[in-house]
Amino acid sequence: MNKTVLWIIGGVVGLGVVVWMASSIANEPERDASIGFGEVTVEGTSLPVLGDPSAADPTLGFQAPTVSGADWNGNPVSIEADGRPKIVIFLAHWCPHCQAEVPEVQQWLDEGGLPDDVDMYSITVLTDKLRPNWPPQDWLEDESWSVPVIMDDEQRSAVFAYGMAGTPFYVVLDGENRNLGRFSGQVGINGLELMVQLAQRSIGG
Amino acid sequence: MSAEAVTFYNSLLAILTLIALVAAIGLVAYRAVRGPEAVDAISPKALWLAWVVALTATLGSLIYSEVIHFLPCRLCWFQRIAMYPMTVILLVGAIRKDMAAKIYALPFAVGGLLISVWHYLTQLFPSLEGGACDPNNPCSAKYVDVFGFISIPFMAGSAFTLIAVLLMFYVKASSNE
Repeated sequence: MNKTVLWIIGGVVGLGVVVWMASSIANEPERDASIGFGEVTVEGTSLPVLGDPSAADPTLGFQAPTVSGADWNGNPVSIEADGRPKIVIFLAHWCPHCQAEVPEVQQWLDEGGLPDDVDMYSITVLTDKLRPNWPPQDWLEDESWSVPVIMDDEQRSAVFAYGMAGTPFYVVLDGENRNLGRFSGQVGINGLELMVQLAQRSIGG
Repeated sequence: MSAEAVTFYNSLLAILTLIALVAAIGLVAYRAVRGPEAVDAISPKALWLAWVVALTATLGSLIYSEVIHFLPCRLCWFQRIAMYPMTVILLVGAIRKDMAAKIYALPFAVGGLLISVWHYLTQLFPSLEGGACDPNNPCSAKYVDVFGFISIPFMAGSAFTLIAVLLMFYVKASSNE
């Protein structure tokens, strides 16, 4: 048997071993790809996509649409003009900045960082089964996330409603659902406290 | 392609990545222990082996973008720019037994490796890329994460490393002739 034949046999056997090993590693139970999405309704005019994050948001004072949906347990959540200022945070399960931000925000909440006169909501966006840390509900439950959640739909209705530019993404709204500020990226505790001040200013707090 | 098939494909490439890394380390150790004897043994096949690695990496990345529909990020594109030409340079060099092929290919391999290292670092430390994730394809997000450390730039970096090591064997062989 010449060397070439030996190389071919060795290659085929080696490839077979690699395929067998890969199939052993990849043996995970299947989960429905739709479980990371919800149903979202948007009423009102959507805000345009936030452009240059370092420039002033040209839509300050614009009325944001009412966005309604539910969390993974079916609990209804609505971000609407209810007379209370609010901070809305958009989170993508695969985004490393969101993964870093969530535990910080949760710790801040646990320590009473959010005053009683400001509400906070979250929206899970850009869900993709093929990306890591899926589904978002598993991740947020692991982080003991206590903020009400709307799961965005596959059409990205909530993303387009608020003109999300990147994740994490924050929108501060007054009691009439007017845009007080939109911020793209990790903000940390200092950023959250500034957003709270922004929200409270709308009620003279 | 189903998520299960993607997971299988990721695992397959992860194993090939580990094999490439072990091979690269093994070749360097072999060279250190056996000296010129190791170079003489590997050199005749070095360009062909390097071409197989480049071809596997190229097809692997094309399957990710064209079949699985992962959108390549900016740094992924830079690594593609380094990897894809090597499939042609190394093939032509291997067929013609052209020693110049190593001179043309080595800068691509080393340059690609440096980009892979930077890309991998942005995945480990996302703040290097800025504070937010691009909604479509941020470089810091991991599409693939096998064994907790093998991501796409890790795969690419391993391929670039093995190609560079094989090419260095070829350099040594040519200098000995």
